[in-house]
Parts: sequence; C-alpha cells; structure tokens
Amino acid sequence: MGLVLADSSVVVLALPDIYRELGTSVSGVTWVLVAFNLVLALAAVPASMLARRAGPGRAAAVGLAVFAGASLACGLSDQLGTLILARCIQAAGGAVAVTAALELLPAVVGNERRAATAWAAAGATGAALGPGVGGALTELVSWQSIFLLQVPLAIAAGVPLLGIAREERRTGTIERELRFTGRPHVAANIALALVSAAIAAALFLVVLLLIEGWRLSPIAAAAVVSVVPLAALAGSRLAPHVPSARARAAAGAILVGGGLAALGLLPKALVVLILPPQLLVGAGLSLVLSALTETALAGRSPQAIHGGWTLSARHAGVVIGLLALTPVFTADLREQRRNAIDAGTAVVLDSPAPALLKIDLAQRISERLDQERGKVPVIGPAFEPLPQDPQERSQVVALRDDLQDQLDRAATHAFSASFLIGALLGLLSLIPISLARRVDL
Amino acid sequence: MSVDRGDDRSRLLVGGAVLVAALLVIAYLAAGGASYEPSQVQDPCKPREWRNPQDLQAIAEQFSLSALDGAACQLHVSRETLARALTTQERRDRFAARYGIGDAELEAAVRAGVQRAIDDAERAGAISPILAVPLREAARRLPVDEAIQLIQDARPIFENAQGFLGGVFGLLDQANGLIPGGVRPLLP
Repeated sequence: MGLVLADSSVVVLALPDIYRELGTSVSGVTWVLVAFNLVLALAAVPASMLARRAGPGRAAAVGLAVFAGASLACGLSDQLGTLILARCIQAAGGAVAVTAALELLPAVVGNERRAATAWAAAGATGAALGPGVGGALTELVSWQSIFLLQVPLAIAAGVPLLGIAREERRTGTIERELRFTGRPHVAANIALALVSAAIAAALFLVVLLLIEGWRLSPIAAAAVVSVVPLAALAGSRLAPHVPSARARAAAGAILVGGGLAALGLLPKALVVLILPPQLLVGAGLSLVLSALTETALAGRSPQAIHGGWTLSARHAGVVIGLLALTPVFTADLREQRRNAIDAGTAVVLDSPAPALLKIDLAQRISERLDQERGKVPVIGPAFEPLPQDPQERSQVVALRDDLQDQLDRAATHAFSASFLIGALLGLLSLIPISLARRVDL
Repeated sequence: MSVDRGDDRSRLLVGGAVLVAALLVIAYLAAGGASYEPSQVQDPCKPREWRNPQDLQAIAEQFSLSALDGAACQLHVSRETLARALTTQERRDRFAARYGIGDAELEAAVRAGVQRAIDDAERAGAISPILAVPLREAARRLPVDEAIQLIQDARPIFENAQGFLGGVFGLLDQANGLIPGGVRPLLP
C-alpha cells in the first residue's frame, strides 16, 4: 500500500527532468501527478466494491499486476501523453490493490482497528517518503528508474497474495453481496481532502522552489525534503500517547498550516530556512492523516468501502491542491521573473562600474536571459571570467551578487502566495475536524 | 482519571502545535519574510539624482541614462525595459510589437529623452546654463534619423548607451560650431 501511495508523490522531484526530457511545460508535466491522483480519487470507491465482490486476495493480486505493468509502461514512455495514460492505468490498479489490502490487513494484524491504524500509517509514510526517494533515483539513475523499480517491488508484494487468491477460490468465501453498515464519515473525509490539498502544495511546491527557483540538483533537493519523512516518523511516535483522534488531527492541521505559512514568508533564499517549516509539515501530516483516516474508518463496515472513501477524499484533495495552485505559482513566477530582471537591469545601469565594463556585462546577461527564457536564469556564468584588475573585479562581484539577490528574491516570492493558500487550506480543515466531534465521534 | 490525562495530553498537543507554528511564523515575519521580493524599479518620469560626474565620460553616461528615463517616461515603460529592448534588433522588434509602438512614437520619445537629459544635466550642475541653451537648440535641430540612430545603432544594452554618448558628442560638436572656442571650457 505504501508503494502505491508513495507513487502519488514519488515523481514530484522528477518532474523538472521529465518536462525537460519530454519537451513540455510546467503546467503540462503537472498532469503526470494530477492524472494519477485524479484516477485514484475516482476509482477508489468502485475499486473497493470490486475488491469486495471478487475477493480481496484476488483483487489485490490483479491490482498489483496492473500496477506493475503500468509502471513498466511509465518507465518506457518517451511521450508525455503515453506517460500520462500509463499513470492513469497505474492509479486504477493501485486503487484496487490498496482498498483490497484494507480487507486483508485484519487477518494479519489481529483486528479491524489495528488494520485501520496500520493502513493509515502506511499511507502517511508513503506520502512523506515519496519525494525523497524519487529525487534520489532521478539524480543517481534517471526519472524512468522510479517507475521501473516499482515493477519488481509490486511483483514481490503480489506473490504472497496468489496463495490467498487460490484459497478464496477453493473455499468460496468471496463476499458477493455489498452490505453497507454506515455512511461515509463526511466531516473526516472533507478534512482529509482539505489537508491533503495543503500537503500536496507543501511537497510539490517546495520541490519546484528548490529545483526551479534555487537551482538545486534533484539529489540535493531530495536531501532537503527528507526532513519531511523524518519529522513524520517523530509525529507517528507521538500519536499513541494522545488517544484523542480529534486532538491529533487538529494539532496536525495546525502544524501543516503553520509550516506552509512559514514557507510563504521565507525571509531569505537559504536552504536552512526551508527545514523548520518542513519539520512542522512532516510531523503534522503524519498526525493529521492517520487521525482522520482512523476516524473515517472507526466502527464502519465494510472497511474496504470506507477506506475507498478516504482514499478518494485524500487524492481528490491532492488534485484540487495541484490544479488550484499550479496556475497561481506559474503566473507569479512569470511576474516575479520580470520584476527581477527589471531590478537587475537597474542594478547594472546604476552601477558605478566603467561604462565599457557594463556594456560587456549587459550583453552577456542578455544572452543568458535569452538562453533561459521563461525560467529563473542562472546569472553567475555571465560574469565569468572575472576581470584581473582588483577594483573592476570587486565591482563585478558586487554586481553579480546584487543580481543574484534579485533573482533569489523573485524565485522565492513567486511561491509565497501558493504556500499561503496551501496554509489556508490546511487551517480550513480545522472546521470539519471541530465539527467531527459533534457529528458522530 | 485516564480520561483526564488523555484530555491534558490532547490540550498539550494542540497548544504545543499552536505555539510552535505561531513562533515560526512570527520569527520569519520578524526576519523580513513579508518583504522579501525584488526591488521595485523607479518611475522614469520622476527625476533621478545624478552622481557627481568627474569627467566628460561620466557626464555623458549619466546623460544617456537620463535620456533613457525621458524616452521611457514618454513611452510609459520602465527605463529598464527600454534599455533591454534596445540591446538587439530582435528585442527591439519584440518590444515594439508588445507595446504597440510605431517609429514616429519612438522618435518623439527619443527626442523627449534627449531634452530631459539636458534639463537633468543642467539641474545637476553637470553642464553650465550657458551650454544648456545651445545644446537644447542642437537637440531640436538634430535630424530625426540621427536621434533614432542613437537607439537603432545600439546592439547590446550599453552599446545603446554608447550610441547616446555618440549623440551627446554629436550635440557637443554642433554646439562647438555655435559657441566660439568650443564647449569643453564651459564644462564644470
């Protein structure tokens, strides 16, 4: 299950590489992420029904086989359309496998309550681990390796299920009748959708800020975002000491909202300043996702169906977050890039450097801007080689630093509004969380 | 009893989350998080202070920047946008298409820019009032093609500035013809 749910975020760090290699745009490549989450959101409940009808062992085995085949297709894709189609099939297979796993878990862990806890924890861990693992694979091997590695992992997970599937066929214990003994937990699922939208903003936008804004390599960005799963681990250790799911959910939502608000108010383009907000987001997401999933499943049967609803809510939230925030930050990035270039031009025009030196620099800077049209440019190479004369050298270094500062300010500021909207979404989840108690907890 | 302990832990957890989140946000705000954005460029229509020019080259450079300001003000764009637009022919064409600016409008803007530069130079004490008069006259009589060439000859951003310098020197040469003994003795 963790494998499938990690997949919703595992490609985040690979997106810049994918869009460069497949020659698409930021908005276009976002669909690699959106399509997977959208299909997972739409397919989760029907998939859970299928798992109940066909038998969870058989459904999980088939789901994982489809997931493995589609992962292979993703890894071999050389066009954006093919990749997105394969991602859709991957999500459909994954939805069947994940919801069927919830039916199988009670037999493994002892009872339904423990099964729900383990299922929720796997989901939170998968979401938190995904970006770091994906970034490391992208840098060390390639973005295709993210998908190709999933093939043997899915097959390995599916092999033990074959025995269960055979047993289901032999004993005929397949539940062919759907019995609903409780409606979905509306408040918990709405809260899940809102907080998932916020978490998607945190994971997706931080990666883009690091790679596209601050020009870090995927592996360096993976190291930075690895703080999130570490903090999630700490958050999950805290959870058993607080019995109230509502308190855990509220605390988690506040931490996610606070972390995102801090990301929207970064006072400087320094990697170290990204870490504290990410610690909050990581700890918050493990608390809130687990607590809300447990709440949505508590006392409800069949578990697979209600698990399907939580899965649907979570991934619908991710889709809403991505679709709502992508246009905001791409528009802001364009505007801020223009502002930075204006500010940088002013720095050069007003510089006390000799006119001939400024002319030469301006020409080289213009060439860099033309080369990296539409992106936040790396301006350093335009200043190489530095002049030999010490006075000119210090003037050029000062100019380069001033220009880089303007570009850093622009890249960072371009993400502010999106982070703050994400924070708002996270904090809005406090409304259904507070209502959940009065409704039926 | 265990319920009470549970309630205490719940309150502690939520209170701790609020405290940590608020402290981080306040710390980032205090460090300038709300204002970390690119500097705003100055309105080209507002006067810009001249640095004390030490020599003719410095005067000419500030003169060209003032001319850029004046032309940008006339065209309702920033000085920086206009300066970049004049770097290459391709950029100039893109600029003209984007802002819907025709040749005549650009010529008028350049003339206005040169006049503004003379005014600014006089105000800053970079040129004497005695020189400003013939310079204005020379600028008015400067053929439109030459005024346009100040921009059109420019390829990189400061080749344009050089173009302006050429224009200034051209104006000075014309002024030399108007003033016996030339203009250089009139410079501060």
